[in-house]
Amino acid sequence: MNARSTGLWVLTGILLVVAAVPPLLVPVYARTTPTLWGFPFFFWFQFLLVIWAAVLTTGAYFLAKEAYRRDRAARGMRNGGSR
Amino acid sequence: MNGVAFGVFLFLFLLVTVMGFAAARWRRAKTMDSLDEWGLGGRGFGTFIAWFLIGGDLYTAYTFIAVPATLFAGSVTGFFAVPYTIIIYPMVFAFLPRLWSVSHRHGYVTPADFVEGRYGSKSLGLAVAATGIVATMPYIALQLVGMQVVLQVLGLQPSSGNWFLKDLPLFIAFLILAAYTYSSGLRAPALIAFVKDTLIYLVIIVAVIYIPHHLGGWGQVFHTVKSNFDSSNAAAAAAGQPATKGVFPATGVGQWAYASLALGSALALFMYPHSVTGVLSTRNRGVIRRNAALLPAYSFLLGLLALLGFVAVAAAVKVGNPPNAQLAIPQLMEDQFPSWFAGVAYAAIVIGALVPAAIMSIAAANLWTRNIYKAFINRAATPVQEARQAKLVSLVVKFGALIFVLALNKSFAINLQLLGGVWILQTFPAIVAGLYTRWFHRWALLAGWLASMVYGTWVAYDTPSPTQAHFGSSVHVFPGTHTGIYIAITAFILNVVVAVVGTVVLRALRVPDGVDGTRPEDYVADIGDEGVEPELNPVQPAH
Repeated sequence: MNARSTGLWVLTGILLVVAAVPPLLVPVYARTTPTLWGFPFFFWFQFLLVIWAAVLTTGAYFLAKEAYRRDRAARGMRNGGSR
Repeated sequence: MNGVAFGVFLFLFLLVTVMGFAAARWRRAKTMDSLDEWGLGGRGFGTFIAWFLIGGDLYTAYTFIAVPATLFAGSVTGFFAVPYTIIIYPMVFAFLPRLWSVSHRHGYVTPADFVEGRYGSKSLGLAVAATGIVATMPYIALQLVGMQVVLQVLGLQPSSGNWFLKDLPLFIAFLILAAYTYSSGLRAPALIAFVKDTLIYLVIIVAVIYIPHHLGGWGQVFHTVKSNFDSSNAAAAAAGQPATKGVFPATGVGQWAYASLALGSALALFMYPHSVTGVLSTRNRGVIRRNAALLPAYSFLLGLLALLGFVAVAAAVKVGNPPNAQLAIPQLMEDQFPSWFAGVAYAAIVIGALVPAAIMSIAAANLWTRNIYKAFINRAATPVQEARQAKLVSLVVKFGALIFVLALNKSFAINLQLLGGVWILQTFPAIVAGLYTRWFHRWALLAGWLASMVYGTWVAYDTPSPTQAHFGSSVHVFPGTHTGIYIAITAFILNVVVAVVGTVVLRALRVPDGVDGTRPEDYVADIGDEGVEPELNPVQPAH
């Protein structure tokens, strides 16, 4: 980690936390309504969380890739191994 | 027996058998005589193959049978498998690239290799390896349980005869699996995983569209399940028994159990040796992070599959007498699908058992070979001897699991699987904390592991259910409260407390702390760096 990558790593961490925490907040989504296509809220909301987490993790992937590239550049190492 | 379903099933089974043996020639290496080749498929799998391999590894046949079965039986926490598989991937993203880097640079094959190298402690490595092996064995056994229920619905299990004749089809399937795992190593499940996952996706997508449509749509399914559970609860209450069935955890008690099961299982999953095997077989650091973003596709699928348990309730599936909820999904497919597609569905589940069973036996064999055989029995073992030892042990492990399920009690395997989840989480502090810091003292980690293993085992044994006196549930009342949470989490808290206190005490007493064989830059190394060669030379380990 260095001055040019710290911000990116922090942002990556925030995305991961925001992806992982909502499924643990069971009281928030343990309810029947509103239903969607006949599915109680409890079920369709968790399917939505799967997509939500996947999108955030994808974002984190691109951020971490750039942060990692900057870290290596700062240490004078060549990049390109991790395509 | 249904001829058409059996014919389709047999065709697909033979197809993967041929693929399993042919896999030895796939991405061929100069020699298969090293653990890097046999046990990790040459450490060269890219994003695409890794997606199938890790997905095929984590979402097992037992999952396909057991998760819908718990919903079918009306357990309010059954759907926790979905939040569990959501939480996993951000964690995978965070710490597994570090494990990949340090393992690649030092030629580590197992998580116990890493622990041994990091803490300079063979005993801590042994503790991690032994936990991995005993947690994996019942997991393999449960893959057999998954296969058994399919063979039963398929009519391949005559009810008469002794246990050997009765389970002959299972024997044959497992013999074939053992043979191609022996010859092709990790390449076999990697190649078969393509077929497995394609079939599973096909079957589940068809099932969640086709079957509810016949039953009046998803709204009708949920409505029927609700009234079914309500009347079953009313009947139980009238008989003076607790009313336990529900569609989802509507009260605080169920919600704590739900969240703690999801969290504990997620923390534990990548401590299982077979998950680590999948991760270490990837080509470069980026493959793991890319897969953390792509693997949730399987979580979506798992959620749909879980709901088929409700569909089975709505379809009034009969699961035998005495009832066996695990028959719900195969029986639903038997009842609802045309024969040929039912055959495809059965094949999907059975092949879904073969892939993880193969990877698990390879992972257990790697652990035995590296952290017991090489660490204690034959310290000068060459890579060729290691590979030979691992191949033999993979056979022993599989047949051990087979005998376990057939000759002993099946519920014993299920109890052990429950325990396995509690146990494997207790290797988390040594492995994951070790990826970031050497602050913990090796003996403190060992003490924390021991305390939590004993405590977790005792609590699990001591937890009754309405139908059994011991191993009745994976949820217990957290000490000092009235809230039920996952046993593994309580044991894990104990583990961390002991490790922290122990570290402070041992440091104050200046007890020697072992030599760290790794350097900080090892944890961020990528392919092409010094000592992280694309083609490993098995005769000359990198370090």
